[in-house]
Amino acid sequence: MIRLSQISKSFGEVQVLKGIDLTVKTGEVVAILGPSGSGKTTLLRCVNYLERPDDGVITIGDFSVRCREVGKRDIHQLRQKSAMVFQHYNLFKHKTALENVMEGLVVVRKTPVDDAKKRSIEFLKKVGLGDKLDSYPSQLSGGQQQRVGIARALALNPEIILFDEPTSALDPELVGEVLEVIREIAKEGITMLIVTHEMGFAKEIANHVLFMDGGNVVEEGSPDDIFNNPKEERTRQFLQRLSREVSTHSSINLVATGDENHG
Amino acid sequence: MAPFDVTYIFLFIPKLLSTIGVTFVIVGGAIVIGVIVGVIVALPRLYHVPVVKRISQVYVSFFRGTPILIQLFLIYYGLPELVQGLGINLSKVPVLYFVVFTYGLNNAAFFSETIRASVTAVDRGQVEAGYSIGMTGWQSLRRIVLPQALGIAVPVAANLVIALLKDTSLAFSLGVMELTGKAQSLGTITQHFIEAYVALAVIYLGVSIALEKLFGVWERRLLRYDLANHRLRDALLWRRASFRRGGDAIGMGKEEMSA
Amino acid sequence: MTIDLGFMWTAFIQLLSAVPVTLLITGVSVVCGFLIGAVIALIRMNRVPILHPIAVSYVTFIRGTPMLVHLLLIYYGLPMLIDAVAKEVGSGFRAASIPMIDFVFLAFSITSSAYMAEVIRSGLLAVDRGQLEAAHSVGMTTMQAMYRIVLPQAFAASLPNLANNVIGMLHGSTLAFTVSVVEIMAKAQIVASTNWKFLESYLAAAVIFWGLTVLIEKATGLLEARVNLYNRGGVA
Repeated sequence: MIRLSQISKSFGEVQVLKGIDLTVKTGEVVAILGPSGSGKTTLLRCVNYLERPDDGVITIGDFSVRCREVGKRDIHQLRQKSAMVFQHYNLFKHKTALENVMEGLVVVRKTPVDDAKKRSIEFLKKVGLGDKLDSYPSQLSGGQQQRVGIARALALNPEIILFDEPTSALDPELVGEVLEVIREIAKEGITMLIVTHEMGFAKEIANHVLFMDGGNVVEEGSPDDIFNNPKEERTRQFLQRLSREVSTHSSINLVATGDENHG
Repeated sequence: MAPFDVTYIFLFIPKLLSTIGVTFVIVGGAIVIGVIVGVIVALPRLYHVPVVKRISQVYVSFFRGTPILIQLFLIYYGLPELVQGLGINLSKVPVLYFVVFTYGLNNAAFFSETIRASVTAVDRGQVEAGYSIGMTGWQSLRRIVLPQALGIAVPVAANLVIALLKDTSLAFSLGVMELTGKAQSLGTITQHFIEAYVALAVIYLGVSIALEKLFGVWERRLLRYDLANHRLRDALLWRRASFRRGGDAIGMGKEEMSA
Repeated sequence: MTIDLGFMWTAFIQLLSAVPVTLLITGVSVVCGFLIGAVIALIRMNRVPILHPIAVSYVTFIRGTPMLVHLLLIYYGLPMLIDAVAKEVGSGFRAASIPMIDFVFLAFSITSSAYMAEVIRSGLLAVDRGQLEAAHSVGMTTMQAMYRIVLPQAFAASLPNLANNVIGMLHGSTLAFTVSVVEIMAKAQIVASTNWKFLESYLAAAVIFWGLTVLIEKATGLLEARVNLYNRGGVA
């Protein structure tokens, strides 16, 4: 189980997280929705300590960290309990698919190389890349790279896997294969926290949904509550806008991502 | 001057080759000093250490901003004068030491820029991915950042080393008997200057090409994961265009990434 | 530690008289080098038969040998060639009547041309082929497209390398002292040995070169900002 309590974080003058509370039970899939700038990605990165929260408590399993008085060793230990799947995959460019998955096992978990290899191959097969073991990231499509990223996270057997918009950098035709893999592992009862724009997907696999805006959790509940009976006006507006964008198809999405890159 | 005679060129080549060891000592020594001092100079700028960072900048600016010939004279004549007041007597130190030292310091400025640029050129997401699978800062530096930075740095370093080789021709001006010095003395003795310099050019050309090929093999090994990447291929092309030694190839890459 | 700052100032003032020679050598070699380099680049890019392999060998040879060797070869080889030709055609002209600095101009222009050729070539190659196609698509002639679309972008992309080569030629101009042309380096040697003040003289020379280099870098920086503003998005 993971529990975040009163997580807050500022970048300079701007407070991007205003005391967030969140609990993810073991085996649960929690989806975080929200407009860009709502703090959802920052929250996710805080769990992995890629961002340092200013205040609050992070508990993963039996390990707890008070963000105000955290030491280097605590951060290191906390990181080992979670794994991250990045928006831009962030595969190690100079390592093959197999080496990418093995890296954490060998270097961090000190697994013997033979065992690590066996285990890594198993996970790469699971994400459908049994034939790409020796390919470098530059030789793989975005969807394949992201599947290696998922295998890399899975292989470490973390308490929770964090997904940061795992499909938003992908070409539309590659989104399906990645969602399929996530769907599969969700069925196996792996605890997941997912930041996503894929509404339909969130609706389908999440047990619990949060809607964030302006550094706060505006509303949370079951997928049915959030998507079919949102109580808050802001949630309703956001969902309406999102479904409009989806129905006018990907042209708007392309424009939107283009803008983000410039910003 | 004696009339031109092609046979002298062939006669001179083996004679010149007998001094190639001195040229290699200067190149090798300068690389060793250059890499060590270069790392020391790069660190304060990579880690943004106040004050020291400024000193690094001035060091790099000075050695890149003045001709190597002046640096040679400045250190050979100036350094003994400078340390005399401290009671150190350098008048007995052989000139070759000064030359290696100067080329070393000069190269350190260029190496430090290369190191700095290639480390910063490694995508921030690579370090984050390292952290996310539980690596310590040192582990992700050693296993993720440095191998990738090396891949970016080697093409530029190749350029630096070939430029260094050519620059060592200036050591003759302080009386060091390396390739150029030897060519000059052969020319003076036989009065066949042109033949001596043609032979000299042939040797430099041969060594330059050999170095380029060697580095090429190393580059392809290091970058085998990324040879499909156009940015790096462009960088290889770009570095050929720079007469002056520098990290422009990397600079280009950085701009592209931030855009 | 003993630096005679008073003398350094004296040396500095004396060295300033040699600055025009240094700048002249740099300027001539950069400009001529650029022109020759442009021709070489065009030969290579258009794969002109016969000339193309010659251009490749030329660039390889120049880039693979020290600038000093180019100077020495021209300085010793050219007079011999000129005198031989003059004798052949019965002219009374002798190479000894050619000023020393002309050999320097020629040698350094040759050095510079090989590097400039590569700068120009990579600058042109850096421009996306789609740019030319787009220019054609709006009805421009190839000349118009080159002049208005391709060259401005190629220039912006080449600017850092161009500046680097100018600085390289500035520093390289010190080699002219080996054939007794009195530029800054030679002047520093004279000042140093007549006053027996080596440290101060060379330091003063270093300061002048340092200043000139920083000046070129700053000017390039300003130019780059301007060009990239005008060309925004075209380069990156």
